[in-house]
Amino acid sequence: MSLGNAWVVLPNPAAAAGLARGARGLADEVNAVVVGADAALPGADLTVAVPAPPVGALAEGYAASIAELLQARGAQIVLLGADVSSRLLAGLVAARLGTSALTVQGVAVEGDGLVVSRTAYAGLATTTERPAGSPAVLVVAPGVLPAQEEAGAGRVEHVDMAPAPEPLRVVEVRPKAGEPVNLAAATRVVGVGRGFADEADLRLARELAAALGAELACSRPLAEGLGWLPTERYVGVSGATIRPDLYLAVGVSGQVQHMVGVNQAKVIVAINKDKNAPVFGQADLGVVGDLYDVLPALTNALAR
Amino acid sequence: MKVVACLKAAPEAEDIGTRPDRTLDLDKAAWKIGTYDLNTIEAARVLADETGGVAVGLSVGGPALASSKLRKDALSRGLDEFVVVSDEALADLDTFQTACVLRDALAGIDGVDLVLVGAGSSDVYAQQVGNELGALLGVATLNGVNKVTPAGDHLVVERPLEDAVQVIEVGLPAVLSLTSGINTPRIPGMRDVLAAGKRPTTEVSGLSAPAPSTDRTSLLAVEQVERAHRVVDGDTADVVAQLVDYLNSVGGAR
Ligand SMILES: Cc1cc2nc3c(=O)[nH]c(=O)nc-3n(C[C@H](O)[C@H](O)[C@H](O)COP(=O)(O)OP(=O)(O)OC[C@H]3O[C@@H](n4cnc5c(N)ncnc54)[C@H](O)[C@@H]3O)c2cc1C
Ligand SMILES: Nc1ncnc2c1ncn2[C@@H]1O[C@H](COP(=O)(O)O)[C@@H](O)[C@H]1O
Repeated sequence: MSLGNAWVVLPNPAAAAGLARGARGLADEVNAVVVGADAALPGADLTVAVPAPPVGALAEGYAASIAELLQARGAQIVLLGADVSSRLLAGLVAARLGTSALTVQGVAVEGDGLVVSRTAYAGLATTTERPAGSPAVLVVAPGVLPAQEEAGAGRVEHVDMAPAPEPLRVVEVRPKAGEPVNLAAATRVVGVGRGFADEADLRLARELAAALGAELACSRPLAEGLGWLPTERYVGVSGATIRPDLYLAVGVSGQVQHMVGVNQAKVIVAINKDKNAPVFGQADLGVVGDLYDVLPALTNALAR
Repeated sequence: MKVVACLKAAPEAEDIGTRPDRTLDLDKAAWKIGTYDLNTIEAARVLADETGGVAVGLSVGGPALASSKLRKDALSRGLDEFVVVSDEALADLDTFQTACVLRDALAGIDGVDLVLVGAGSSDVYAQQVGNELGALLGVATLNGVNKVTPAGDHLVVERPLEDAVQVIEVGLPAVLSLTSGINTPRIPGMRDVLAAGKRPTTEVSGLSAPAPSTDRTSLLAVEQVERAHRVVDGDTADVVAQLVDYLNSVGGAR
């Protein structure tokens, strides 16, 4: 089953470019509004190209005009990515359409309508819901919608829009140094938590990860609060969801918000010095011990 | 500057039980101001102090907001006053409903310059209430804000994106959604707790929400994978030997 149309909205051509391919599984006709587009969005039948915002303005400033366009064209499903700009645009557009922007874990067409699933209670639970009005505005992370083959008709229409005269001005854009991270593809992952007393001590985890051929992941506080690792590396309800063969949690307490990101791993091993740490309740093997003793010895033993 | 910090109370996740039929047991879960809204209060306090202004808390919710413990806790963390919109009909709202009620409640607070919301509420973590509220109010709106500096009649904020950091001048009034890394919330001391008892809480009634954006057909606990739950303890050399054996047995070691 599919609906008549889906509209993908991108604040810049690089945001969530795969969404159009995924949308094909939901609707017969896939259209897109792409700010700053100079070509058709792969997978879309129609790409409405909106000029890039003038220097100092944000693409999110087009929200009111985009909402008007979506309404005028009878959009049934509106899809946006989960990056920071797309999320803001989603909320700004949804509110103007009189509805909530829904961050979905799953989306399908059943009967004559959409069914979405979302997490609730910090990741402990999942809901199934039917959007009540039209359009439904959905925030979709990569991987939620399987990509379809169809290329789309590839028509491009240029629509001129002026960003709202908002009292916002971008005065500087500093590039952020980043390393490519691909947690989703890793079969083994070492996850580090606040049990590490110092950023330099992460060396112990990096050496272990190298010995195991594993990727390094972390709990949210190490990425968001301490900034020791990039945000792409934290797993959990608000971070990445992974299902490796092995997840080795080191100095991670095992709170639900973290564990929902890894609880589909085949094997979970935990190293924690507190024998009552909740992580042991969710591990196949728990090692009660100080990571500063266990890690060097383990890396050594594995290297032998 | 008058800064309003929007706060959501939710049941503490660790204390939520799951029954064999995958329904949730919320009976033992205490309702608390969300972890990331402690950053919201802290940011409001700091900005109010920097500008010689006031920090006002605002929360919409069900009967759980009647708890004097919860109110005192919020006030002790740096609010000058707390506005509470509590009604049976306002429990469990979606983000658009919440944004609508917040807009109406804000209309009753004089001279608001800035509205701050948290990185995400601790139960649904939709990260949308601030964005939708900003659109409803028709004011400058940003999410993911990691730094706020007052600069005369406007603010300068930093907003990290995936690959860059934007520095943006924001005119007031504005709605900003913060990151959880923006600050470290203060831990209230004895004095703060005592002072909290003297700070005013204002109850607002008579507000209502529009219809929900979805019809919920089910709410079930996430299915758990069976785990072996073996625990080893003792001498490091010994536990490491067992760990290596185990990793070999599951094919986890190279
Ligand atoms: C809305 C919301 C969303 C969230 N989303 C996420 C998310 O997506 N991902 C996430 O990870 N968190 C998330 N959190 C945060 C989560 O609730 C926890 O605060 C966090 O996961 C805890 O991180 P931690 O285990 O590293 O730190 P802690 O809980 O502080 O645990 C540190 C552990 O290290 C152990 N330890 C200390 N020293 C040693 C040592 N020398 N050797 C061995 N062990 C040691 C301690 O016993 C302790 O168990 C979220 C929270 C909220 C409210
Ligand atoms: N019921 C509410 N009352 C007051 N503020 C709220 C409420 N719900 C959400 N917020 C604010 O909006 C932020 C984001 O919430 P959410 O969109 O649900 O993740 C929270 O951190 C709060 O600051």
